[in-house]
Amino acid sequence: MAAGIAATPDALNRAGGLPARARRFWRSAPSAFRIGAIILTIHILLALLGWVWTPYDYVARVGIPLSGMSWEHLFGVDQNARDIFSRVLYGGHIVILLAVSGTLLGVLVGAAFGLTAGYLGGWFDEVVMRLFDAFNSIPFLVLALLASAVAGPVASGEPLLLVGVVALVYAPRVGRIARGAAQTVATQDYVMVARLRGERVRDIVRREILPNCSGPLLVEFALRAGYAPVLIGSLGFLGFGVRAPLPEWGRMIAENRNLIFTTPEALLAPGIALATLVVGLNLFTDGIARMIGRSTPHAGA
Amino acid sequence: MAAPLPQETTAPVVASIRDVGLAYWQQQAWSDVLHHVHLDVHAGEIVGLVGESGCGKSSLSLLMMGFRHPSAKVRSGEIWFDGSDLLAMPEADLARVRGNRIGFVPQNPTTALNPGMRVGAQIAEVLMVHGRVKTREAAMERIVELFGDVGLPEPRALARRYPHQLSGGQQQRVTIAMALACDPDLVVLDEPTTGLDVTTQEQIILLLKNLRARHGTAMLYVTHDLGVLSELADRISVMYAGHLVESAPTDVLFEYPRHPYTRGLIGSIPRLDGRRPREGRLTGYLDRREIPAGCPFQPRCPLADDRCAVEPQILGECAPGHAVACRNADSVTPLVLDDGGVRLARADSPTLLEVEDLSLRYGQMSLYQRLVPSALPPVVVRDVSFTIAEAEVVALVGESGSGKSTIARAISGLLTPIGGRIALRGKELEGGIGARSSDVVRRIQFIFQNPDASLNPRQSVGRSLARPIEVFFDSSHGAPRALVEKALDEVLLTADYAGRYPDQLSGGERQRIAIARALVAEPDLLLCDEVLSALDVSVQANVLDLLERLRRETSVAMLFISHDLAVVRRLADRVCVLYHGQVMELGPVDAVFEPPYHPYTLTLLMSLPGSPLRSGQPVARSEPEREPQAQGCAFAGRCPWQPDARCYTEPPPLHTTDRGVAIRCHLPLANLADLARPQAADPTHAMQTREAGTTP
Repeated sequence: MAAGIAATPDALNRAGGLPARARRFWRSAPSAFRIGAIILTIHILLALLGWVWTPYDYVARVGIPLSGMSWEHLFGVDQNARDIFSRVLYGGHIVILLAVSGTLLGVLVGAAFGLTAGYLGGWFDEVVMRLFDAFNSIPFLVLALLASAVAGPVASGEPLLLVGVVALVYAPRVGRIARGAAQTVATQDYVMVARLRGERVRDIVRREILPNCSGPLLVEFALRAGYAPVLIGSLGFLGFGVRAPLPEWGRMIAENRNLIFTTPEALLAPGIALATLVVGLNLFTDGIARMIGRSTPHAGA
Repeated sequence: MAAPLPQETTAPVVASIRDVGLAYWQQQAWSDVLHHVHLDVHAGEIVGLVGESGCGKSSLSLLMMGFRHPSAKVRSGEIWFDGSDLLAMPEADLARVRGNRIGFVPQNPTTALNPGMRVGAQIAEVLMVHGRVKTREAAMERIVELFGDVGLPEPRALARRYPHQLSGGQQQRVTIAMALACDPDLVVLDEPTTGLDVTTQEQIILLLKNLRARHGTAMLYVTHDLGVLSELADRISVMYAGHLVESAPTDVLFEYPRHPYTRGLIGSIPRLDGRRPREGRLTGYLDRREIPAGCPFQPRCPLADDRCAVEPQILGECAPGHAVACRNADSVTPLVLDDGGVRLARADSPTLLEVEDLSLRYGQMSLYQRLVPSALPPVVVRDVSFTIAEAEVVALVGESGSGKSTIARAISGLLTPIGGRIALRGKELEGGIGARSSDVVRRIQFIFQNPDASLNPRQSVGRSLARPIEVFFDSSHGAPRALVEKALDEVLLTADYAGRYPDQLSGGERQRIAIARALVAEPDLLLCDEVLSALDVSVQANVLDLLERLRRETSVAMLFISHDLAVVRRLADRVCVLYHGQVMELGPVDAVFEPPYHPYTLTLLMSLPGSPLRSGQPVARSEPEREPQAQGCAFAGRCPWQPDARCYTEPPPLHTTDRGVAIRCHLPLANLADLARPQAADPTHAMQTREAGTTP
């Protein structure tokens, strides 16, 4: 056989220094990805900043309640005399961490069950899928509220509970997609080869199925992560978010919502923050989804 | 660059491809797929166009219909048909030519026929569109006529069926009827028999020959299979990387091929008599990125020198009617065949695998099926017995649906038998993989048909090869790199392949990796399931060489599943012929391929293109007349020699010849020995002799 096979396009892409490759990647990325990435970067930088420094302490009473915007208090002071800008700044890392870890957990759990069900089929598939169906048939907000209520007053308001709730809402939805992807892969001969080696189910799912379903799963993660801040914000708004006085944005909007006609600027900062985060995440993840879709390997391509 | 073209027939030219160049837009550049192609098709002539996958033959056949891919651009040339240029014709005019004056037969009839429409209606549509008939009744009359022409039984009933109610051979007959519906001047056939069984292929070839004789339709037959063309074509043009490299009358081409590529191609076809040309076969594969400015074949050519890489080779006449595009064409001599290699007798080595009265159903049984016996899947393998000795190669042959692969799956443990036993070195094997010990699992390795599907696209070659080592051997220190490199070396690949991914390999290389992955487990038995059939001819020859070397140099035994009798002849020690899950014949390869034959074996042998057996023989039916009972001979419905009704109801007796062949047939041995003789061609005669033989 020809030993000196010509350099593949893939190999060519690997050539060049890191900056050159990064530049090439940036230029070839969809514009949605680029805009999203810029917005997200700003958000993450602000979140990091808020974590280590804010102009005022986020719980301290620092001004006259509802005194409006000023140079001392960029976005005003809320009805409890706290600086809104500081609270929004500090809340950034909470929202982002909760959204990302909740989605991650949901995708992991959903993928584990979905991939295994898709590969195994039979009764395991039946049971898992009916369970997923049951969860999916409940509107997600109802499901989330139900889960928070079941968790009881002690756990209520814990950030970990929120992560769990987001995961619970997402896992069945991701699981369906994962199962579909796994079913296609499970019929491939290389899975048969692994079975013929006597590999355990766990190893087959991890080594053979998962890598070949990573495309749809990453797309799922990306799309779900974009919506997670809305879910967390909605829960916060309904009073099932993180415990006060932690400044989660949805909760901040809820706290000040009855003032919307008198001092609308109290809602401005958390509203803008949440909206830009969701828009940025969605653009970014949409771009990722498109890039993954573009490079998904096809058998025999 | 108009080249002198072979002009020997005096029949008028139906279609003339002149200097056609075609390019595809690929990754920001035009890439040429056809270069200055010249080809004439004369009235009543069958022209074969042959080449490996990716050579541009399908692009050319579509271009003949005036079709091209949206990203394709015609760079030069014209295709003259009936006084006008198909490439310059407006779409509306083309629509009047397509299906009307030029018919097209696609490769895969299953996807070419509309599954939601009755086949009659689909042909009627063609007739109506081109105004050949005005009424439904007239269309039906024409369909009946056409179906009779292409040998479809009960045309009126058949026209009312949907495509899925027809067999593959019948579907292809329908597409041929559709292509012929408007009495075209030219029919373009794009690999029309590639997906079909050998016996069905044989019938389609006969049909095409008949049609040409009766209607004088000119045909352009595009295929990768030179063997088929040797049967059918008047002239053959050989294409390589979009260049026509040789064009000659069929017998001349096979006797005295001039172009090194043609010579390699002919040398790569396994022959039934086991002989092969003395010269080396094709090496490497077509890599479009590596094509030099001169001769496209230069990187793979045994005769090439540096001048070949820069000087374009132009198709020129080297003998009357014989054109070739090679500087060195005059220096080559006619092909000389070698004798087949010496075969080592291995029958006396101890038994490795024993299969006894094995019966199988397809698929896993669900709970529902277990409770309701009538819902059980059908039995696909019935009472099959055979043995494989240590280091022996046993071939399982038969058409699709004969249960070959199912048997291999049962041996590997993927399928639990419903009856019988499988034993490895005298120890009975458990039904499922999970119940077998890791050592037993390691000793039996499976190689799949399609290497594209059997390698994990997300795993590097090194990972794929290392995993079996981790699973089967001491896994504490991971897979030693040295073992992986040794495995690569064993299949003649260099160590740097370990870092590559399957999409960076050619089909042949992938199959080598799949073989290497099976070998690292150090198995006693390899189950090779049609491992060559997904590969191009030249690649096939290379992998076959590799398997032959393994057979010679290692002590691994093989169960070699194939529908290709010529390959089996070269590789196998013994052959087991299966039909519908029953063993028809079993014996040493040389003896099975000589009389006395089992009727089914003879049918298979006759179906091979170029088979010397085929003249004047009755041909097996493509569909069984009626289904035999479970105990009867499975082949009874299609057998042209069947003596009487017993074939349908009674199990055929077992005959053993003096050369060690076991044959199951109701005909006595003496008659079986006569089957292939011309006088036995008449079934009534065969019957008479049988009666004479059985009368006490």
